Amino acid sequence: MPLEQDVLWYKRAIIYQAHVRTFHDSNGDGVGDFPGLDQKLDYLEELGIDTIWLMPFFPSPLRDDGYDIADYYSVHSSYGTLEDFKGFLDSAHKRRIRVIIEMVLNHTSDQHPWFQQSRSSQENPRRDWYVWSSTDTRYPEAGINFLDTELSNWAWDPVSKSYYWHRFFSHQPDLNYDNPAVREEMWTVMKFWLAMGVDGFRLDAVPFLVERDGTNCENLPETHAILKEFRRRLDEQFPGKMLLAEANQWPADLRPYFADGNEFHMAFHFPLMPRMFMGVKLEDRKPITEILQQTPEIPPSCQWCVFLRNHDELTLEMVTDIERDYMNDSYAQDKTMRLNRGIRRRLAPLLDNDRRRIELMNGMLMSLPGTPIIYYGDEIGMGDNINLGDRNGVRTPMQWSGGWNSGFSVAEPEKLYAPLIQDPVYGYAAVNVFSQKKTQHSLLNWMGRLIAVRKTTRAFGSGTIEFLYPANHRILAYVRQLGDEKILVVNNLSNAAQAVELDLRRYKGNILIEMFGKNIFPRVGEAPYLLTLGPYNFLWFRLRRV
Amino acid sequence: MAEESFLTDDFLGQLISVGEVDILVGVPTHNNAKTIRSIVETIQAGIVTFFPRERAAIINADGGSRDGTPELVVRAAIGDAKPGSKLYALRTLPSISTQYASSPANGTALRTILAAAELLRAKACAVISPESTHLTADWLTALLRPVYTETFDLVLPTYRRHRFDGILLTNLLYPMTRALYGLKIREPYALQFAFSGRLGSQFLAQNPWHEETARAGSEIQFTLAAIGGEYRIGQSFLGTKQHVERHSADLVPAMRQTVGALFSSMEPNFSSWDTKTGSQPIPTAGTEAEFTLEPLRVNRKRLREMFSTGVAELEPVFQSILSTSTLAELQSIARLEEVRFHYPADLWAKTVYEFAAAYHKSVISRDHIIQALAPLFRGRALTFLMENRNGSAADVENNIESLCLEFERMKPYLLEIWNGGE
Repeated sequence: MPLEQDVLWYKRAIIYQAHVRTFHDSNGDGVGDFPGLDQKLDYLEELGIDTIWLMPFFPSPLRDDGYDIADYYSVHSSYGTLEDFKGFLDSAHKRRIRVIIEMVLNHTSDQHPWFQQSRSSQENPRRDWYVWSSTDTRYPEAGINFLDTELSNWAWDPVSKSYYWHRFFSHQPDLNYDNPAVREEMWTVMKFWLAMGVDGFRLDAVPFLVERDGTNCENLPETHAILKEFRRRLDEQFPGKMLLAEANQWPADLRPYFADGNEFHMAFHFPLMPRMFMGVKLEDRKPITEILQQTPEIPPSCQWCVFLRNHDELTLEMVTDIERDYMNDSYAQDKTMRLNRGIRRRLAPLLDNDRRRIELMNGMLMSLPGTPIIYYGDEIGMGDNINLGDRNGVRTPMQWSGGWNSGFSVAEPEKLYAPLIQDPVYGYAAVNVFSQKKTQHSLLNWMGRLIAVRKTTRAFGSGTIEFLYPANHRILAYVRQLGDEKILVVNNLSNAAQAVELDLRRYKGNILIEMFGKNIFPRVGEAPYLLTLGPYNFLWFRLRRV
Repeated sequence: MAEESFLTDDFLGQLISVGEVDILVGVPTHNNAKTIRSIVETIQAGIVTFFPRERAAIINADGGSRDGTPELVVRAAIGDAKPGSKLYALRTLPSISTQYASSPANGTALRTILAAAELLRAKACAVISPESTHLTADWLTALLRPVYTETFDLVLPTYRRHRFDGILLTNLLYPMTRALYGLKIREPYALQFAFSGRLGSQFLAQNPWHEETARAGSEIQFTLAAIGGEYRIGQSFLGTKQHVERHSADLVPAMRQTVGALFSSMEPNFSSWDTKTGSQPIPTAGTEAEFTLEPLRVNRKRLREMFSTGVAELEPVFQSILSTSTLAELQSIARLEEVRFHYPADLWAKTVYEFAAAYHKSVISRDHIIQALAPLFRGRALTFLMENRNGSAADVENNIESLCLEFERMKPYLLEIWNGGE
């Protein structure tokens, strides 16, 4: 099927999150670029992913890794040119790989010409493009997102002698979405990239677009109205393109972002991710099943995005205080690993580099409801560097080989945008694509097989989920079903072998076919179905009536 | 031939599902539907509050309830299949149940709980009585924390009691256990206590679990096993223990369970007590014991009558149990008017020791020996009531301490008659 005709592609996608800067440097300046990324598309195609989500690559002072945009219509010079981007996009599409890019709607860099004009005088036509005030006391109910660095959501601008509103860093002034000109301009930006061929946007920080007195300025009806208008225009002018919401909210609060299937196509399921880590540490399925029980139904054309790690800290916003303390004590005993309300670590170090737990977590990622996202480098078990500030420790260069600069760049090591991971366990000499490709049972090759098996059924992407509740609470078991296709998933969250009896009577008469080895298991009868699983083992079965 | 297991397949299946735990709380029950729900909820509150991260389970060993007690326990489990618990728990808190028999037997209940604790590799376990209507969440941490974090093997409770509550405990079980084993254990026969996994396993393996202990007395055997094995024992103050009105007919069954168990434990544990002199305090969290002084109606006349009648009617029995001098003194006391009635501490200690020796030698049926002690205990209880009628809490404590010292002083006499003498 031609790419453009598959309008529900995002429900079956396997997304790979990458940053141009971190992936591959083609010109030896120490910074990754689009030609470099283009050269590595074969690798991504071989891995089996079908969508790339790129972090911001626009001109920016890079004080927030590109989320502080200074020009929405161009490419940061370090990453190449607009032509380079187009070349990469075409190459990706030729491989049937779609590309999602970032759209930072809520704020710009304070270096953006719009802000420079806005602050220049009260009379400037762009004065009203940002949220200005003579006091710093408005909207007191609004929380501060970056507690470690910001004391207020208002910052004093000595140029215009007024306060401006910023929900993130003070160098990221919020755009004023009450101004129709701002809304129109941002749609023009989106049109610019859509016309070029990008397949969708991850819309950053969407709950914060509009401010109103007496509210916490999050999830307001006015914000939803703006987002619905963007969606309407998207559907009219660019059918088959996708909007993904970044809104770190509870599932019930996220539900309105799907509206009646006419706002966002997808949204991140933020509260699920920490509970997967919690479930494995507690050896108890309760945190996982509870949050999914609280997750509301969404329209059939919509989809959750699920992930284990990303470019930010492992956010602990959507957990209780008891859970946050538990997570911090379990996964970030060293306090330097903590940032804001989260843990700034990669997947492998979080899981003590335990291959069994890494596989189990990826197995759940690929089989729970939603479209999975793999963060670059996690497919080979890359480590992190907590000595780098902010979240830069999880944004180090991709480790391609054990050679010069890990094959990332031919530049002098000192010129790299960030130091390579070099420790004996996670360093590029030990963990790299080249050596893992050559090893049949490497994590990389295992990830490839996992993705391939997931792709053999649409039930994972689009099917329903029904939890089985075996008495053994260390076992997380569920059936994914789409039409007649039924997949039984059984996960052992414990570090010890477990026996479990599953009530499969409603599937009586089916045989179980294990999806990785394709071995046949006994037919389901009236009696409880007994399975034994090794430590952190998981099994996927296709249920088939013979 | 395959060895027979006393655990049912169904219970074993439930234990497999629970898996390894850090904390286990056992609740022996028999027709406790009225109280069990609040007991289980309080235990859950204790675990969730004080051990929120630990793997825990509640194990109900039921002696054939017909009022739905086991079902209430199972229904109270905190999990994901049936959400709705008022408590917020980080992890699943299973509560499972097994019916070990069609009639209650404390020993079998304890054995079931110990077996579950061993299979689940519990680090710290507690046993909670389903009749503990004063139970609070704090009791759980008071009992379990010393075991879980401070390497104690057995933690016994101390309580705030009414001065006339537990007279059998204060006038016989406590002083005699203290004199025998040299440790000031206030509640040697506890209905709630905590223990380490290693003590539980050792007791499970070594106790003969014969029919007699299966019925009763296993709790005191457990305490004595800890003493004999030189395990680390401590006490925790739990607060108020409610006064329970007992019918006079309850005394003999209670004495069988406690005094009978104490006497029968003396033979196998002889080497643990024969050389001990004096007594030592044991580590105690909170106060050792407290007494409340509210007025309480006691039928002194009836107590005296039961004593006197017993002394007269059981004279042939006493002749085979007691020394001539002891019997003569008792007969003399029996003739006293109520106002002059007094059963002195030294004579009481001597009486008890002679009963223990007679029990050891089985001079008559052991059950008859225990039954014969009941009227004499009533006489001693009357004296205790009269001596402490107007006393302060400190006076009551001093009175009990004097009695304990009397038991300790008289211990050589026990050794003398144990294998010979009168």
